[in-house]
Amino acid sequence: MPEIEALLPRLRAANTQVLGVSVDSVYSHANWGEDLGGVSFPLLSDFEPKGGMAKSYGLFLEGPGITDRATVIIDHTGVVRYAESVGPGGRRDTAGLAAQCEAIDAAHPGAQPPPKGHDPHEAPVLYVKSKCGFSRAVQLARHNLHLGFIPLKNVSDDAAAKAELESAAGTDQAPCLLASGKPLHEAADIIKHWVEAYAPL
Amino acid sequence: MIEVGAKAPDFKLKDHFGREVTLSQFAGKRNVMLLFYPLDWTPT
Repeated sequence: MPEIEALLPRLRAANTQVLGVSVDSVYSHANWGEDLGGVSFPLLSDFEPKGGMAKSYGLFLEGPGITDRATVIIDHTGVVRYAESVGPGGRRDTAGLAAQCEAIDAAHPGAQPPPKGHDPHEAPVLYVKSKCGFSRAVQLARHNLHLGFIPLKNVSDDAAAKAELESAAGTDQAPCLLASGKPLHEAADIIKHWVEAYAPL
Repeated sequence: MIEVGAKAPDFKLKDHFGREVTLSQFAGKRNVMLLFYPLDWTPT
């Protein structure tokens, strides 16, 4: 996946959206993405019913209950133009796949590049607290979207940060994203704001 | 495995940012590369 992340500019230029798919939960995906240094393209959770989407593509392995390691490239009209398995233990030729995407885009013109993100807010600061699942979720999204430039402050062990948040937001509730002086409190809303600003589909 | 030339089945799944993602949302706009893999913490 880090190899694919590095190829994203080339894939965007080929008007191609990358989507990873496994049977793991969204929580597992977010943690794995962080471990890899950040995965900003969607990792889809084919969790319930388990492998339902992989089955519809003939790529679910019933015995071990996992998905095959395979790549399917679909053109903008919804037709499969490439489908190859390397087996669960195999390795993908990621540069070869980028070349496939470019060839498919050239052969079936009409696709458009993904939208460019735009964040209208200035000087963001992210406040989190310890032992809080919502704080954990926003920190994972911050890593996965490569938003390390947004300062992170923990109100559980930083009294000055807690006072700063209370003064700006009127409450020390965390997580809180303070941007352009305005507080955004819910983890789901913070992450939604970030993906729309930095990784729109 | 699905064959080249087939119509790709639509799907609706959540991603690791909590977004619902469908194949049909890209129809007429973008090509899509699906990377199926066995489990998180396995290579590429």
